[in-house]
Amino acid sequence: MNAAFGMSTLIVLGGFATALTLLAFVVKAYGTKWLAALAIVLAALLTIATWGQPFEAFGGLYRIDTLAQGLTLAALFGCLWALLLGPSEKFEYPLLILYAATGMHVMASSTNLVVLLIALEIFSLPLYVLATWRRDERGFEAGLKYFLLGALSSAVFIYGIALYFGATGNLTAGHAGSGPLYAAAMTLMLAALGFKVSMVPFQWWTPDVYQGSPTSVALMMSTAVKAAGFAAMARIFTPGGQGEWGLALGVVIACTVLFGNLGALVQTEAKRLLAYSSIAHAGYIGLALYSGTGGPAMVFYIFVYAAATGLAFAVLQGISEGDVPNQRLQGLLYRQPLLAVGLGIALLSLIGVPPFAGFWGKYLVFSEAAKAGQYGLVVLALLTSAIAAYYYLRLLGMAVLNRSGEPTPAPSATLAGIVIFSLTLLLLLSFVPGLGLNTFSVGQ
Amino acid sequence: MIHLTLFLPLVAGLILLLLPSLGRMFALLAAAVTFVLSLILFAGHRGEGFSYASQTPMLEPVGVYYAVGLDGAGVLLWLALTFTVLLALWIADVPLRFMALALCMETGLLGIFAARDLILFYVFFEFTLVPSLLMLGLYGGPERMRALYTFALFTLVGSLPMLGAILAVRYLGGSPSFLLSDLLQHPITGAAASWVFVGFLIAFGVKSVLFPLHAWLPSFHVENHPSGLADTMGTLYKVGIFAFFRWAIPLAPEGFSQLQGLVLFLAAFTAIYGAWVAFGAKDWKNLLAYGGISHMGLGLMGVFSATSEGTVGALFLLAASMVYTGAMFLFVGRVYARTGSLEIGPVRGMAKSAPALAALGLFLVMAMIGLPGLAGFPGELMALLGAYKASPWLTFVGFTAIIAGAAYALTAYQAVFHEQANGADKPDLDSREWVFAALTVGALLLLGLYPKMFTELLEPLGKAIASILGGAS
Repeated sequence: MNAAFGMSTLIVLGGFATALTLLAFVVKAYGTKWLAALAIVLAALLTIATWGQPFEAFGGLYRIDTLAQGLTLAALFGCLWALLLGPSEKFEYPLLILYAATGMHVMASSTNLVVLLIALEIFSLPLYVLATWRRDERGFEAGLKYFLLGALSSAVFIYGIALYFGATGNLTAGHAGSGPLYAAAMTLMLAALGFKVSMVPFQWWTPDVYQGSPTSVALMMSTAVKAAGFAAMARIFTPGGQGEWGLALGVVIACTVLFGNLGALVQTEAKRLLAYSSIAHAGYIGLALYSGTGGPAMVFYIFVYAAATGLAFAVLQGISEGDVPNQRLQGLLYRQPLLAVGLGIALLSLIGVPPFAGFWGKYLVFSEAAKAGQYGLVVLALLTSAIAAYYYLRLLGMAVLNRSGEPTPAPSATLAGIVIFSLTLLLLLSFVPGLGLNTFSVGQ
Repeated sequence: MIHLTLFLPLVAGLILLLLPSLGRMFALLAAAVTFVLSLILFAGHRGEGFSYASQTPMLEPVGVYYAVGLDGAGVLLWLALTFTVLLALWIADVPLRFMALALCMETGLLGIFAARDLILFYVFFEFTLVPSLLMLGLYGGPERMRALYTFALFTLVGSLPMLGAILAVRYLGGSPSFLLSDLLQHPITGAAASWVFVGFLIAFGVKSVLFPLHAWLPSFHVENHPSGLADTMGTLYKVGIFAFFRWAIPLAPEGFSQLQGLVLFLAAFTAIYGAWVAFGAKDWKNLLAYGGISHMGLGLMGVFSATSEGTVGALFLLAASMVYTGAMFLFVGRVYARTGSLEIGPVRGMAKSAPALAALGLFLVMAMIGLPGLAGFPGELMALLGAYKASPWLTFVGFTAIIAGAAYALTAYQAVFHEQANGADKPDLDSREWVFAALTVGALLLLGLYPKMFTELLEPLGKAIASILGGAS
């Protein structure tokens, strides 16, 4: 494969981001939005076109494989939904999303720690700005929290990289090592990336930031950011085995599934509830880190999770740009059946009720962890999945079982399109899970 | 054709959900075609092993297959199931979307009996829950939310130990896939076997209403739509006996042997406890719910005896009870349509004004209490014969439950249809109900008078179970 084609996704994303920035005062805000959307769609199509063809450039600094492509695709969907559902009156919004998308793609496509750090900053900085988009007190609180903790986590990441270099003499991720220096390096990097994907105890910002940000930005944080973060985690933590510092990972995962699910039980606002749910799912995805062959399982899970969470957030966005107290969902089925069905399938998938796609995802990551001998974590994950069913079903029950409720605006054509597309994708993966798994295993 | 039969109800149900204007005839047609197809499958079934077996990889790298097929038990249960669903849709006065949900649920139930892959079985087992919850939540009575939570809690929490057991069976047993045939060649042994069986026991105990896992059932029935359609579908969902027979006992025979005494005792206790509570029930749905618990207890005694007769009897009882308990709930729905009440107390003497209705009721009650010559008898008899070999004393308890069954059912029947009539005259059967009556009576007579037609199919399966457990004891 020639270099231009191999790097086409990056070229399209980066090129459009640069060109649209330069032309920002010429092109109307509305035009910028649609051009940015075009760039993302084009990038997604190019990712699919180069599917399963490994490619390296810059002496291995940029590396495309199925993991990179699968997670890029998941991240691009998240960015695209956020772009389409978000505000269109200012040109900054689409540009920031396009920059974030570029950073996420790079994050998914490199094994070099310095490149990963740069990618992390490229997609984090736009998100700090996007979190404050509403410019009210809650928005500023969200942005400030996210920025301060994010800056801290970047510093921790750099510290981890430095120690890793000291322990292994290498800046390429995935080397095995031993000794306290190596363990400290891995733990620090786990903390930094754990912050991005909101794993306990680095999750405190998540509910406040999701609630304070526009719903479309929360959508992006819960889907695209997780895909990018876990791409880096899979490259850093999996190939070298978990050795001495594996205990840290186990504790983090156990705390994450417990805290996320227990915290979600008492939430009365749907965005906060989904924030806790996204914490819980970060723990489940983390189980796939244990397996040397867990790549496809992890990609499958993230893809399904991102499709379902993106769908749920899109429905919430259709109800209100701001807070959505759970009661607002009452009787949704009788007012906006399409939104209610979308929310229903998304929640059933997140619970992991067979045959919905979430079940296959859970089954895959749980069996990866079981194969690696982590029976305790699998049992804990199963138990917390039962807890999760309660809060998801309560939300679903509100939407479908009550007839009365406040009026809901009819979904826009864009929203309806997103809901239908996501539904199709989820149902396809539900009934033909092998298709997804085989796609994500190409070339492995 | 097996795939067509399996998914036709789901597709029809989904179409009807989207386009309710297609109407009631569409739902009936779908159910009727499904029934006819399963009749054809029944007729074409070979005596032994799985007929119509087919498998396609679903998640090949981890050994999950879409593998279906029907053995004797499967084909018999399909027949009983599709017949009962047709009957239920024919007679129940319910909104169209309700019928659509029932059709969706039918696919899940058919899949449970046809799956030859453990994960696929789990998928169908859990999928069936979704329409069932929706039926209760959308069309249930005033206290439906509590019933819904109880039901969902029991089922979901119950299936987690099963999922754990499923993973353990495969990975500790060393089987290359989740196919039944592969798993059977790698039975799990040692201490893990007991835990695996306990995992299955909890999940299937919920679905065979084994004491103390029965607690969801009464409120489920009481709060469901009075037409009886949801109750009938719920009755069909009580697949525990089959699941023990197909999966739990063969896959963890050692675990089962160690716990056999306990589970036999629980089954016998369930039988007598259900009958005892049913005797004091104040309304029809409670009575039928606890009566159903009692019957399932008898069936479980048969399965847990692990003898050839016991297994055959239990499976036959399961198929027969689908028809008669389902029909009984639907019949009660017709009584409700006339009186507006499900309570046994206030309405008296309906036989005066509606003699044909009373006669149908008497017939159904007789079938339910196991009158020889009707559907309930052969299954109960064989199940208890099998249980006698395993434990004579507990079998005595089971017989007491049958006697108690006659007492509670006939007392209630007498109260409602005989005694001094009160209130206005009630209309007798209309033409739709006559069809219902004819179909039900025909089916129950066939099951009762010529059980050999069906038990022939079950006997090799019973012997296979007995041989897995090492002889007839």
